[in-house]
Amino acid sequence: MASAVDTGVQSGRFWRVLIYVTLIVFAAFYLLPLFVMLVTSFKSLDEIRQGNMLALPLEWTIAPWISAWGSACVGLTCEGIHGYFGNSIKMVVPSVLISTLLGALNGYVLTKWRFPGHRWIFGLMLFGCFIPFQIVLIPMSQVLGLFGLAGTTAGLVLVHVTYGIGFTTLFFRNYYEAFPNELVRAAMIDGAGFFRIFWRILLPSSGPIIVVTIIWQFTNVWNDFLFGASFAAGQSAPMTVALNNLVSSSTGVKEYNVHMAAAMIAALPTLLVYILAGRYFVRGLMAGSVKG
Amino acid sequence: MSSLSIRDVHKAYGPTEVLKGIDIDIDSGDFLVLVGPSGCGKSTLLNMIAGLDSITSGEIRIEDKVVNDTHPSERDIAMVFQSYALYPNMNVEKNISFGLEMRRMPRKQRRERVAEVAQMLQIEPLLKRKPSQLSGGQRQRVAMGRALVREPKIFLFDEPLSNLDAKLRVDMRTEIKKLHQRLGSTIVYVTHDQIEAMTLATKIAIMKGGVLQQLGTPAELYNQPANMFVAGFMGSPSMNLIPAELVASDGEPAVRMVRKDESSMLLPVGDNPAYRDWIGKPVILGLRPETITDVGSAEQDSPLLFQGECLIDVTEPTGADVFAIIELNGREVVGRMRASCGAKVGEKLSVVFNMRHAVLFDPQTEGRIG
Ligand SMILES: Nc1ncnc2c1ncn2[C@@H]1O[C@H](COP(=O)(O)OP(=O)(O)OP(=O)(O)O)[C@@H](O)[C@H]1O
Ligand SMILES: [Mg+2]
Repeated sequence: MASAVDTGVQSGRFWRVLIYVTLIVFAAFYLLPLFVMLVTSFKSLDEIRQGNMLALPLEWTIAPWISAWGSACVGLTCEGIHGYFGNSIKMVVPSVLISTLLGALNGYVLTKWRFPGHRWIFGLMLFGCFIPFQIVLIPMSQVLGLFGLAGTTAGLVLVHVTYGIGFTTLFFRNYYEAFPNELVRAAMIDGAGFFRIFWRILLPSSGPIIVVTIIWQFTNVWNDFLFGASFAAGQSAPMTVALNNLVSSSTGVKEYNVHMAAAMIAALPTLLVYILAGRYFVRGLMAGSVKG
Repeated sequence: MSSLSIRDVHKAYGPTEVLKGIDIDIDSGDFLVLVGPSGCGKSTLLNMIAGLDSITSGEIRIEDKVVNDTHPSERDIAMVFQSYALYPNMNVEKNISFGLEMRRMPRKQRRERVAEVAQMLQIEPLLKRKPSQLSGGQRQRVAMGRALVREPKIFLFDEPLSNLDAKLRVDMRTEIKKLHQRLGSTIVYVTHDQIEAMTLATKIAIMKGGVLQQLGTPAELYNQPANMFVAGFMGSPSMNLIPAELVASDGEPAVRMVRKDESSMLLPVGDNPAYRDWIGKPVILGLRPETITDVGSAEQDSPLLFQGECLIDVTEPTGADVFAIIELNGREVVGRMRASCGAKVGEKLSVVFNMRHAVLFDPQTEGRIG
């Protein structure tokens, strides 16, 4: 009996070691590109030409970062990517805020103020989540043209809000589905109206799902290339498009270190959002998926 | 003055009729308890009084004003929910004052009212806490505070004690009762616990399947149940319902009881004029366990005491009393004896039947005779 228990523990330890080794190998494998990007962005061009991609820089330099930010040539202008970074910020902040707020409002109505046909509306919104981007490109450009928003950041915001609303509604609906109706009723008796209940009772209790939605929307909108390339050319292009132009428009020598630095700058905001709010992300996903 | 009046209220969800014509009237200061088995429509009725759900037909008046189409916030009611429904994002103080804030009461006045209520419910040390940091009993108190602070015309409670453990439930029951006696407020209280109903109510409305079975004081429901359902629902252990034949014995109506050893006895049921028509017909005799006793604990001044030897089948000691089960007309019948009466399983005991409180039911309609 005792020996049986022993081997149980032994094999348990063996498997655990195996699992850890596997996980570490995979983690290293996935982190390798990031590592290469990072070290390359701190090397001088000479050093890069000499060879070993994986080696740490012999001489650390932040010149590539400064160049990427302020003086690298994107297309015809050589002012770095900072303007496009600003474009992306101007696009992502309103897109995320508006789509999150609208999603919350939709979720609230779809769970607490049900109307005939609410299932259909929700079904259609869900359907909207699964329409491939390419299908809407042409109709969307017509709509933007109609509104006079073609080629502007405001137009991009509209596109991203429209596209994001399906997902944000889904998140909030599932979250509010589990939110007790009695609280809404209590607030009604207390004399709070439609918006008051939303602002004072539901929204303050929605922390986790707000974080989930913001992360989701932020990553999607920030990383989007297709809409950015299609609807906002030239000076109003977002970061992703500028990065592409930077890489493809460099004449003469390919400045890998500058490219890598620019790519790092482009990836930094999403990375930051994950680091700051990542643990709420998982928690919120769980909370939302328990019921609904 | 009539404080709440419910007239012929129907409610249907699609084809299913949940309330089938409810009529209830209570006066100001009444403590009305709605009881009934699960799914009988108690919460539905309460929600309609609150205005959280619309009625299909009928009329609800609060202090003589028809409120059928009045918004919940304008009905001057306050509700305590089964789950307490405390706002999780606000502390206790905010929870209690939220309703006042929505009614645009100035901050200073709000503070005073909250302090007053907090003192009454002894929750002053908890005012800055969030609901998640409270125990079940404390949450219950806060929920009551939220209702009390508004000083409404009617308080509505939906099973407010069912989430508490047994001991706390008894304590809070007493507190609610004291509160009612102190404030004299009108209360409608839903429960499916008949003991809660008996102890708290000044009036009980007992429902079954969306139909009001009886409305009356606890004593009325207990002593003169309108039908067999009410008789069986109120009281624990519940009333014995024994099929029997009504016969005339010396010109007085009596029921014939056959004991386990085949010997029969006649128990006179008192001279109620309504019984005359039933002589020679089958009836259901209703006898509460406490009217079937040992000789020593019989109600001595009752004019209708009858004694007979009965075989004890089972005994269930509860401490002070022992419930003894005997067989009459092929039914198990529970009697309540003193623990010291010496009832032993398999032995005969002299049992006293106090027929003063006996009731008879029509076996067909199940309604009470007389
Ligand atoms: N929205 C609804 N749609 C359809 N049927 C409903 C709806 N709400 C309640 N019912 C039905 O109405 C009946 C009464 O429900 P109600 O909640 O009033 O019961 P209750 O007496 O409060 O029971 P409990 O003691 O279990 O709380 C139940 O049979 C229930 O299934
Ligand atoms: Mg109920």
